[in-house]
Formats: sequence, structure tokens, C-alpha cells
Amino acid sequence: MDAAILLLVVGGLGFLAWRAGAALNYRWDFGPVWGFVARHDQERGWVANLLLQGLLTTIRVSFWAAIVAVIAGVVMGVARTSRALLPRLIAGFYVETIRNIPPLVFIFIFYFFVTSQILPALGIEDWIRRQHPDTLAWIALLFGPPQFAASVIAAIICLGLFEGAYVTEIVRAGIQSLPRGQWEASQALGLGRIATLRHVILPQAMARTVPPLTGQAVSLVKDSSIVSLVSIQDLAFLGNEVAATTNRVFETWILVAAFYFIVCAALSLLAARLERRIAGRR
Amino acid sequence: MTETNGFRRRFIAPAAGGLAALGAFAFGRPAAAQGADARATLAATSMIEEVKRRGTLRVGMSTFVPWAFRNRAGELIGYEIDVANRLAQDMGVRAEFVPTAWDGIVPALLAGRFDAIIGGMSITPARNLNANFTSAYSATGVDIAASRRLAQGMTTFDAWNRPNVTLVGRRGTSGITAAQRLFPRATIRQFDDDAQSILEVVNGRAHGMIGSVPRPLFATLDNPDTLFRPFENPIVRQADAMAVRKSDPDALNFLNNWILLRQLDGWLEERQAYWFSAREWRDQVPG
Repeated sequence: MDAAILLLVVGGLGFLAWRAGAALNYRWDFGPVWGFVARHDQERGWVANLLLQGLLTTIRVSFWAAIVAVIAGVVMGVARTSRALLPRLIAGFYVETIRNIPPLVFIFIFYFFVTSQILPALGIEDWIRRQHPDTLAWIALLFGPPQFAASVIAAIICLGLFEGAYVTEIVRAGIQSLPRGQWEASQALGLGRIATLRHVILPQAMARTVPPLTGQAVSLVKDSSIVSLVSIQDLAFLGNEVAATTNRVFETWILVAAFYFIVCAALSLLAARLERRIAGRR
Repeated sequence: MTETNGFRRRFIAPAAGGLAALGAFAFGRPAAAQGADARATLAATSMIEEVKRRGTLRVGMSTFVPWAFRNRAGELIGYEIDVANRLAQDMGVRAEFVPTAWDGIVPALLAGRFDAIIGGMSITPARNLNANFTSAYSATGVDIAASRRLAQGMTTFDAWNRPNVTLVGRRGTSGITAAQRLFPRATIRQFDDDAQSILEVVNGRAHGMIGSVPRPLFATLDNPDTLFRPFENPIVRQADAMAVRKSDPDALNFLNNWILLRQLDGWLEERQAYWFSAREWRDQVPG
């Protein structure tokens, strides 16, 4: 029975692929696109070309944005469960504003605000240009080519704050899922609110939030493709460039999809292992 | 309302005038000195001064074959890349390219992401309201590459201006603006780059692709069995120029004179011939 269903599905997919191939007047040719993944240089041997460079940018942006999101999420998540009204209002406003705006609209507005107001005020761009070559090498490693670093940082802030709203809700759920008895017992032991959070509540809440947080991390990698709209040279942006240059639209995007899949699947596998380890420790 | 206006006229305006006079008196600065200050500020904030100080000319552009695109090594090549590199060389600085999505390139210029747009941008009144253009340094136009199967014989404007005709093009380009003006009854669909638009026509999902000369011609040369050019000449004539932020006379003066000199010595013409006519550069590109 299973074999029959499997056969039917595979057959169906094959038929669809054949139909698509027949309907589209298209000569498949991955050749030119592979050249943009990596190429052989006379002097330096194999070097990463545009698509791999884009993948690196995507990983960098996702990594830093995840850190921004976790910091924003934990601070706002704790604020959301606070007893005082003001922190609750601020955190509530943050979460509701961001969750009710499409990511694309948010990034357009916020990115132009950050790049035209906040970054010039901080003078990051000029600061980067004045750095010693050694420092520049570090900046290149952490944020990519120095001349684009300021824009990348702006995009990281935008993406991090956007995903932070979802992390806030995960953290809030984690804190609120703990029985009231935990708070009461800590109080009975004479612990203050901050000490209770630090030693009792957050460690337990964190263990509970690991599975949804890793899911959110995979989501973040995929969402990171929206930074291509504000011209960050990530995988999606450079994919577009390669498609425009080679005229091999489908081939390029299939390869780009495969790259995203590999990163996200690897992250999911890692998450599954982490979850098992935490479950084992408990 | 009148009451407030009267109040403003009678009280605030003289008060402001008095304050200004008081200020002038207190600081004792003649008008000429103030003018010199204003000039100094304007000159110091000019894009030209900033470029000299920084040592790099930041250029906003987007991928358009053959204006700016990638060679096998992933490096930028093309007509506008040559122009920007030569301009930077003549200024004694290095050109730094900032690839930017075309439909957001003017806001990015205004936000200060780069010093100038050098990317085959056609002058349009709408763009000119937000940014300044230099003198034009290449004359181009808008052309159509049409599907042999769907658009055979459609060689008049009337044939294209029909509700059942689908035209495709790249978002934010002057080709789209021209299509909307010339063929208001046709369906116009917009894509993020030329390659996707061409693919739609090759696949028979649109009658024609509208774009800047010579892209539609190149598309027909690449797909001779499926595409043809319905019009002998460009359907709209246009002029490309560099765009800079407003209120920067120094930048406009420098760039205009640079363009004039490079036109006089034939350099621009020679580069244009290389990139736009015969495709001698084809072996640099994959595919």
C-alpha cells in the first residue's frame, strides 16, 4: 500500500515536471550558473563567486540578527510579564506593532529611517573607513566587505527587531507556562523579583523555549531574504543579479532555493539534537 | 483664521524682523560676510569635497545588460562601469559600486547610500523632481522584443494598444513609463529584471518585452526563432544622465564639464560603440 502511494506521488511529480518542460519553451542549462557558485582562478585556485558570497552574507546577517532578536526578545518578554504597567505597555506596543505589519513594509520604512537618521548620527560609516587594515579584516570577517558594513548593520538591526517581536512572545509563553508555585516558593525563600527571574524562572523557561526558538531561527534565515529588497548583497539579491546577467532565471533560483534549503535543514537537524540533549538532561 | 493671520501680521512678523535686526547688530556681520559663509558651507558639503576627503566615489547602479552586469569572475563590467571608473580616475579617487534595486535607487541616493547614480538612468520629469541630472551623455530609447507566435504582424502602435495585448518590462524603468503612456489599453506586467521579462515572452506568456535600447535587440539575437523586433526604430527616444542629490551646484558643474570633455575627445562615443553595438564583450560573460 505504502509503495503504491509512493509510486503514485513520484509518478505524479514526474508527469508535472514533464508537462512543465513541454509547456515551457526552455533549454535547461545550469552551466553558466555553476560558474557563479565558485570559479577557478589562475593564481588563487578555487574561489567563491557571487552565489557563495551571497550565502555567506545571508549567514552573517542571520547570525547577528538572531542575537539582536534574542536580546530584544528576552528583555521585552520579561517586560511583558512584568507587574508594572509601563514595561507591559511598552513591550505590548512593540510586539503588536511589528506583528501587525508585513515584514516587507517594516523593513522598507525602518531601514531608510535607520540608514538616513541613526547611522549618520552614530558616524559608523566614517568610523569604519578610518580603521586600521587589521581591524578592517575583522570587520570583513564578521560583517562582510567593509564598504557595505554600515548597510549590513542597519539591515541586521531591522531584521533582529522584527524577529525579536516573535521571540518576545515565545519568551513570554515560556515564563507564563511555569506554575505560579515557582514564584511563590522563591518568594517564600526570600528571593526578590530579579533574583527569582535570574535563578529560578529564566533557566526553566529557557529550556522550555528552545524548541520554538529554533523554529524561529529557521524562520529568520528564510525571512532574511527580505533584506535583498533594501539592496543588501545577500543570497537572494545576488541570485537576482546572476539571473539578470546569465539569463538563466529558473536555474539560478533553483540553485538559490537549494542553498537556503541546505542552511535551514542543517539548522533544523542541529535544533533536533539540541532538543534531545536538553530532554535527556531533565 | 483671519484673526490668527492678523495677529501674525501685526505682531509676530515685526517681532521676527526686529529680532533679526537685533541679531545682525549684535554680531555685527555685514551681509557680504554672511554670503561668503553660506558659500563656504555649500562648498564644504558638496559631494565633490566629500569624495576627495573619502578617497572613493560611491556609485549607485543596478544590473542592466550591457550598462552594468557581471563577468565570469563576478566582477562588474559594462558601459556605466567604464564611465564611473574613468570618472573616478580623473578625480584621483577609486570608484566603489553599490548595487541597488532599481525601483528604490532614487530614495537610496537621497538617503546618502552613494554619491551619484551612474547606471544608464534616463531623464524623466518624475525623477528630476527628486534629484538633479547632469547633461545627458548617451542617447538611448525604448524598444520592443516581441513573440513571433503571438505578435506576428503587430507593427503599428494601434496593434499594441489593445486590451488583449500583454507587455512585460522591468519595474521602475522608463520603458514601463513609456508603455503606460503609449499603450494605455494594453496590460502591462512588471518584473524585477529584464531576464524574467524576456523569459515571459520567449515562453509565449506575453506579446512583447519593453526595455531600453539595445536590450530588446540583444534578446532577439539570442532567441532568433521565438523573438523579433516589430519596430525598426526605437519607439521613444531618451537621454541618459548621472543623477546627484539636489542643491549641489559644484557637483553638477564638475560632472557636466567632465562629460563635455569626454564627449569632445571621443572617449564616451568609443565606449558606447564597444558596449552597445557589436557584442565583442561576449566572451567575458558566461552563457
